[in-house]
Parts: sequence; C-alpha cells; structure tokens
Amino acid sequence: MAEAMRQTIVEMLKGIERYNPDNLSTLEKYVEIQSRENAYDLEANLAVLKLYQLNPQRFSQDITCQILLKALTNFPHTDFVLCKCLLTEKIIYRKEAKGRQICKILQLQMQEEPINQIMYLGDILEQCDFQHFWDRVLSMPELCNRIVGFQDSVRKFVCHVVGITFQTIDKGLLAQLLGGIDDSTLKHWVKKYGWKEESKNVIFIANQDENIKTKNITEKIDFENVAGLMAACL
Amino acid sequence: MYDDYNDQYDSYADYGPVADTHTDEYDRDAYRQVPELVRKFLIYFRNCINEGVIFEVQTLYENSFPKLSEQFFDKQSWPDETDVAHIVDNDPVFLVLYKELYYRHIYARIPGGPTLEQRFGSFFNYCDLFNYILSAETPVPLELPDQWLWELIDEFVYQFQCFAQYRARLLKKTPEEIENLNAHNNIWSVLCILNVLHSLVDKSKIKSQLEVYASGGDPDSVAGSFGRHSLYKMLGYFSLVGLLRLHSLLGDYYQAIKVLENVELYKKSAYSHVPACQISTAYYVGFAYMMMRRYADAIRTFSSILLYIQRTKQLFTSRSYQNDQINKQTEQMYHLLAICLVLHPQCIDEVLQQALREKNYHEKMYKMQYGDLAEFEACFLYACPKFLSPCPPPPDAPNEDYVKEAIKHQTQVFMDEVAQQKMLPTIRSYLKLYTTLPLSKLATFMCSSTRPDGSWDLDKEVATLGIYLLCFKHKMKNIVWTKGSSGLDGKFQSGSELDFYIDHDMIHIADTKVAHRYGDFFIRKILKFEELNRKLHKIKI
Repeated sequence: MAEAMRQTIVEMLKGIERYNPDNLSTLEKYVEIQSRENAYDLEANLAVLKLYQLNPQRFSQDITCQILLKALTNFPHTDFVLCKCLLTEKIIYRKEAKGRQICKILQLQMQEEPINQIMYLGDILEQCDFQHFWDRVLSMPELCNRIVGFQDSVRKFVCHVVGITFQTIDKGLLAQLLGGIDDSTLKHWVKKYGWKEESKNVIFIANQDENIKTKNITEKIDFENVAGLMAACL
Repeated sequence: MYDDYNDQYDSYADYGPVADTHTDEYDRDAYRQVPELVRKFLIYFRNCINEGVIFEVQTLYENSFPKLSEQFFDKQSWPDETDVAHIVDNDPVFLVLYKELYYRHIYARIPGGPTLEQRFGSFFNYCDLFNYILSAETPVPLELPDQWLWELIDEFVYQFQCFAQYRARLLKKTPEEIENLNAHNNIWSVLCILNVLHSLVDKSKIKSQLEVYASGGDPDSVAGSFGRHSLYKMLGYFSLVGLLRLHSLLGDYYQAIKVLENVELYKKSAYSHVPACQISTAYYVGFAYMMMRRYADAIRTFSSILLYIQRTKQLFTSRSYQNDQINKQTEQMYHLLAICLVLHPQCIDEVLQQALREKNYHEKMYKMQYGDLAEFEACFLYACPKFLSPCPPPPDAPNEDYVKEAIKHQTQVFMDEVAQQKMLPTIRSYLKLYTTLPLSKLATFMCSSTRPDGSWDLDKEVATLGIYLLCFKHKMKNIVWTKGSSGLDGKFQSGSELDFYIDHDMIHIADTKVAHRYGDFFIRKILKFEELNRKLHKIKI
C-alpha cells in the first residue's frame, strides 16, 4: 500500500504543488499507512508539517504525533530535528467548533500533551539515555504501539551506537541498552549485527583499532606548489 | 502554473486608498523638480537598456545610480513615476525597472522605512515585472546585468521578509491599519513569493540545465527557448538561491538544501560569478547544515567561502549597501564557524585560524567550551537568519508582537541540541590527555571536579559516564557529503579530531596530531622580502 502510494505522493511534492492544501488529506492518509506498515517517507512527512505551518487551522495533533514518532524510528538521522524546526511554539487560529461557533484556539504546540512527551522521548534518545527511554516508552504504550516496528527501529539505533563505541561490551549492559530484552532476543540481535559471544558475559563487537586510530597530519609540500615561487626568486 | 499568481494579482483592482497619513508628503513630492542631471541620466539609462548595451547598463546600475542617489536623494525618494513617465516616453518596461530601483532606494535609505502604501506599491510593481517576464509567449527582449538580476531576486525575498516582520508587529498599529492589512492578506503572502520563484525556476528549466551542466553536457540542449535566454537562465538560477533563503527563513532546512540539487557549491561554475550570490548561498547552506547537525559539512562550506572572502576582501571595502550586507554576513559566518568548531573540533585552514584569532573569537569559543549557554545563545542570535512565521496573525489575534516567535522557536531547537551535548567538551578535554584511560578513572575525574566532597557512588557514576560516552559517539558521527548532485547525500563519518572506543573497562583514545606547518610561514616571509626588495630597487637617491 505504502509502495503503491509513493509515486502519487512524489507527484504531489513537485514544485509549487507541494504547498497545495488540497493534497493534505492524501498526505495524512499516507502518514497513517506509514505507521501501520512500518514504511517511512521523510520528505512527505515534512510536507505535511509545512502545510500545517501554512494552514494552521488544518493542524492535526494526531498526525503530527505520528510523524514525530516515525522520525524517532529513523535515528541516527536527524529527521526529528528537521520536524521539530517546522513546528511552532505558539500558534493562534480560528476553528469552527461544533454548533458552528468560531472559537479562537491558542495552541502551544510544543508544550501540549502528548507532543511534549514525544519531545522528551526525542531528547533522551539524543542523549543516548536508553534505559530511561525504555522506561518512558513502557509508560506510554498506547502512543508508541501505534507505530508498527517502533521498538525494533530504536533497537537498530542502539546497535548503531554500540557498534561504533565498543570493541567488547558486557552482555548484561547490552541487554539493558536494548530495552531489557531476554536472552534469546539478545542472541538474535547479536547474530544480526555479526557480533560474537566472546565469553559468558562479554560480547565482542568489532575490532575498532582499524577504524579508530590516531591521525597524524603532516605538512606535504611538493615541488609544483613552490616551483613558481622559486622561479620568481631567481 | 502562474494562473494563481494572476488571480492574486487581480486584487490590485480592489486595492483602495491604503495609507493616507503620507499623502500630504506625497503631494509635495509630486511637484518636485527632476534635476537636469537626473533627467539626462534617466534618458540615457533607458536608451542603453533598450539597445541592450549591457556593459553600459551595468556601469549605470552599479555606479551612476548610487552616485546620483547620494547626491540628490539622500534620505529621500527618487522622483515618482508620474514625474518620470514623460521623460522616458511612458516606456512601460523601463518604468517598472525604474520603480524597482525607486522602492529599493526607499527601503534602504528613507529613515523610518517604507510606508504601508509603498510596501504594497513595491509588491505590485514586482507583480508587473514578473508578469511581463513570465507571461510572454516568446522570451522578452530584455537583458540586464547579472548583478542586477541577483539583487532583484534577493531584494524581492528581502522585502517579503520585511513585510512579514512588519505584519507580525501588531502592537503599534491602529485598528484601521490592522483592518487594511487583514483585507489584503494576499499581498506579500508566502504562497505568492513561492509561486513567483518556482515559476521562474520552471520557465528557465534551470534544474535540467544544471543537471546537464554538472554531467559535462551543454545546458542549452535542454534549456528550451526561454532558458537559453540569459535573462531567464540567470533569474532561474537566482530564484533557486531565493528559495534556499526563503526555506531557511521558515525553518525548512531539508528543502533549503534540496532546492540546490545539481548546483556545484564548491567549484567555480558558469553560474558563480556574482560574489554576493555566492556568499549568500554559502551562508544559508552552512546554516542549514549546522541545524541538521552536519558540522563537518557546515565547516567545509563556511571555510571555503570565508577563504574566498579573505582573498578578495578588497572588493568589499567600499561602503555601499550591498557591501554592508556582505560584511555583516561574513561576520555572521565567522560566528557560525566558531560555534561549529566548538561543537565539532576539527582542523581548519591556517588562514582562518589566524582570522579567528585576530577577530577575538577565541574568548567566545572558550566560553562556549566551558558550557556557557548564554554565550551560545548570543552567538546564535547574532548569526542566525531572521526567521519568520509564514502566516500573518489571524484577524482577531490579540494585539501583540508576534515577530519574535519564529526566532525563539529556532533558537530553542538549537539550544536543545547544545544542552544535549553539554558534557562532551569536558569529556573531550580529559580524553585529550591520554591514549588509554579506564572508565572508573575518568568517572572519578569528572565527579571530583564538580563534587569535591566525595559524595558519590562510583558504580553509578561509571554508568552515567557510559551514557555520556555513547552520546559523544552518536553526536560526533554525522552524515558528511562526499560526492553526488544533492547536498543532502552523504555517508556517516566521524570527522572530529578526537575519537575513541571502549574495550572492556578501558577507553582507547585516538587523537589527531597536527605537525607544525612551516611552508606557509616561509612563503609569506619570502613574498614579503621580495616585495621589500622591489621597493628598495625603486628608490632613487
């Protein structure tokens, strides 16, 4: 479904068409599909936020939450920051409420629940405070469970950070970073990333001294660089 | 594509009397004599444009017009259209171009800035100009110097920015003014600006042209009848940069970078001969990269343009409105470079390091390294673009000033990032001293500097340190552009000078050691002596 829509969406994002509010409902549906089918399209989601920015009366908190949660699944990329930049601290707009009464709404987008909770999730994930992150996620299941594959996507990010940081890691610590997973699940992730159980409690990640070594920058002056100068001195 | 834009433009008809407070002044101006010198200039200027004597037009635009402005119209406007029309035989195209300069002069030089009527007037004049260019069936017979075309697009976006700020400031406006503004919300609306810029991009087929150019082909082969015409081609190119700026002002950094696909940012190209455009491009691209946490890309972008400015700075020393702009943007880029280097220390060109030293950025950088958040914020606020909210406040919004909201928000996003990284400089400063360091020892260092009374539990502190170290690695591994047509592409790299990994309980550190560079030093001395020698030879006693 998501794949089938992708082409239609690409057309909707071309040139000035990107700012056409008539496309909003299709784009919103596309967001829902991404949540359900574990698909992802940053550019389309940014276009939705852009349309909210231009048409504040169309702002949907629900869709925005899904976009932000989807952005969390794409760490270590900075999609979450990009989304955040398109939100507004404070917007005021008129909305026709029930009974056709026009009421003025002052919305503090960033401070309102549950957007502020997702902002907090983003913040601790950026700080790699994974333990804290998992505790939080457990406390808000209705929000995160809507995004299919949410937890595993975050685990991929955890593995990315572990993979660049450790040569060997304590097995218990790794399980904890991955959200307190059980032994067989841990085995699955270890295998997936080509890591090895070195001993009972230690997992070997990779030989890092090949990637991370002291660099020496020395000056290289070749003849061509100074030939002109030397010639001029003659 | 520009049908919408014409619709909006139709509202010109219902645009009634706007600001009446200034009409008196206007009447007085209306009877002002046009000085003889100015009259002659206008006639000559018009002839040169009509005959397409491009070099002469360039001189008149770049030198004569500013000179006459200074001489006759310092702090006042050029003569109104009605006084000029008969001098130039009511030439409609010339009058539109004249008015573009006329309004630009008002924006730049009249104390207190333009009136509401003038803001509207300038907008409609841009509509006339772009309609003339865009709705023609064949390319219009007009050629203007690239410098002018660049300034035209840049000014168009600038005036939109001014209007949006003016619009968001409700505090000192009368109810009539607010009503008038609400009745004309389509004037200077962001959609209108986007529409114009996109239309110019489409009409010129500049995107295809750049793509072919980047792959070594002949851009004319895909340019179409309009895009082959220099006016359209360059307006299309400058509109891409206009879009870059517009997207940045609205906090859309992804689109900002994306719109420049196929533009070769780090090479000289057939499109890169207007310095102000190059500088502006680098400023916004670098800024967007910084916000996307692509520090290595931001540093590369700022470095290359700042080196270019260093080499050519004598070009920008004369005092003009454009040069003031360039010099301000240069200062802003030094600030941004300083911020990026604090967050992501890395080697930069010796010349720039020297410049940072001379301009006293080291104190600012030192404060930021020591976690002075106020310094970060001050540098950011000085150096960031003037962010805008894309929509005007709604008709019944309380009378407040909304102009700061957007800047506040972007600053908040940036400061959140800084706060997330607040422990990294401390950790870096310790790691720099060792090649291997046990986790527990580093944890002890970090605690004893903040809590010398020893009231801490080592295991807990080692666990906390573990989180900081993961954060360090995460924040220092970023996408870096290496090749490809889009500035968004890239690979994850650790570009910062210090790196490490953890093996069991030990941190292994890899630092970058830079050997002293003597070459530059000697070359500079040699050149200096050469110069001295030449001078000595010239002295005749």
